[in-house]
Amino acid sequence: MKIAVCAKQIPDPANEVTYSNGTIERPEEQVLDDTDRYGIEVALQLKEKFDAEVTIISMGPSGTQKGLQQALQMGADKAVFVDDESLKGANSLMTANVLSELAKSLSADIVIFGTESTDGYSGTVPQQVSRYLDLECISYVKAVEINDNVTLTRQTVEGSEKLNMPEKCVISVTAGGVEPRYPNFKDIMAAKSKPIEQVSISDLTINTTQNLEFIDIETVENSKSGEKIVDEGEAYQEIVNKLKELKVI
Amino acid sequence: MKTLIIGEIINNNLSSGTLEILGKAKSLDLDVQVVTVGSDENPSIGLDLCKQTYLKRQNNSLNLSKAATKISEIIKNEEISLILGSSTYMCRDLISFLSVDLNSSPVSNVIDFDVASGNVSTVNSINGGESLYKTKINSGQALLLIRPKAFDPVEVNFNDDFETIDLDGSDLEVFDIFIEEKSGPQLEDSKVVISAGRGMVDKENLELIETLASKLNAAIGGTRAIVDAGWMPYSQQVGQTGKTVKPDVYIACGISGATQHQVGMKDSKFVIAINKDEEAPIFQLADLGIVGDTLSVIPKLNDNI
Repeated sequence: MKIAVCAKQIPDPANEVTYSNGTIERPEEQVLDDTDRYGIEVALQLKEKFDAEVTIISMGPSGTQKGLQQALQMGADKAVFVDDESLKGANSLMTANVLSELAKSLSADIVIFGTESTDGYSGTVPQQVSRYLDLECISYVKAVEINDNVTLTRQTVEGSEKLNMPEKCVISVTAGGVEPRYPNFKDIMAAKSKPIEQVSISDLTINTTQNLEFIDIETVENSKSGEKIVDEGEAYQEIVNKLKELKVI
Repeated sequence: MKTLIIGEIINNNLSSGTLEILGKAKSLDLDVQVVTVGSDENPSIGLDLCKQTYLKRQNNSLNLSKAATKISEIIKNEEISLILGSSTYMCRDLISFLSVDLNSSPVSNVIDFDVASGNVSTVNSINGGESLYKTKINSGQALLLIRPKAFDPVEVNFNDDFETIDLDGSDLEVFDIFIEEKSGPQLEDSKVVISAGRGMVDKENLELIETLASKLNAAIGGTRAIVDAGWMPYSQQVGQTGKTVKPDVYIACGISGATQHQVGMKDSKFVIAINKDEEAPIFQLADLGIVGDTLSVIPKLNDNI
């Protein structure tokens, strides 16, 4: 079984996202998007049961490759990435086009994603990749049971439903769906000798265009500068008074 | 502009998200039709103000990709230029599939859009609502995923006048379909919402919130952090990846106010925040902020209401 897991390098989420001409500014050192750790964890659990090969696929400025290293530290076997100036500000469809080409080049049976990135959160790339690859998409997986069969539980609008994982498909895993493992010192050292390969965009078939044109970013004044009271034991009374004034009670 | 709205069914009726998009489409005077995807036997979804087509799935198989193929066909046959859906699980899947078929990247998290001289432009909220990101769509077809509560729902009379197209199932069999039991006021339409965050410290302390909620006839929500920790089901998550609420009163208990959470509640009319940390971002959105321990404030509220 060959598994491709998508991992995105993003600016450290502790810092506020900044934009330049409509595109997120990316420092040299980016980190692994926590959202992707859930997908990687599912891939590693499948690897343990079915002896699969797990390859990280990624698109975007590679920089110090810290985020890719973090994905390998968790236990993936290798990483391939595309980093090309022409992809700067790529829309979700173009991103999906590139990632599906990478998955194809690896002959991946199973392609796994988080549900949406923390920096862009368009939340459409896993489904788009499945359509490019002509595979079924099992989206919003929130629980995985691995026996002889693999049973996936999907989140639905009204609750949940279960499916058996087919031999080939695309999966997106929700945050909290599984418990991502923490690498130990040995894992961190081992990751350093794992292969990371850059793939040239000219080796891929890309036929999407930039149909979304950035116009403007406008800052809105959110701050309400409401009343702020330090509780010295009686602040609840302020809430009670306010709820009465608002006719809630 | 010829427009197709992807409709969704909740409790045998069109979802509020569908009606909100229909409201906006009507206000822009778009030439609109609705194509609803669902598995209900006899939904009441015929519309007096535009054409409705029902793509009926079988709920025992995952065949959304087949639904998308059918919608692609309709879009091409009827020369549709604008395709709209709510940011729900189903519509996110469908619009994503369609974007590949039509070779047109969608815009997600749209909170407003406009059509002028044949061009569609959109507004998204970014950085937790601190900024608005504006985009113009230059492809022949525009696909938008619209956040709930962005628009006022249309007033509509339902009838039984719609065409039903039965979709084939797929090989992917679905089983153990579980419908979460809903009791008490619901997040989407409750006038008062009380939400809990990490500051509640322990799952057991949510009892305090439940007591207060029953006194105020409020719905209960939570942050992504506590939903991920398993304190609450996902259906109660408020925020970017959860629900968007717009109640008259929002009470944030022990919530720091990460941008992910703010997106889901910032349009509440009156926000009361209780948090130990004076610097917590939630206070910037609060009309009344109490700097203090939620676990000592809520019991007093419960005793005095």
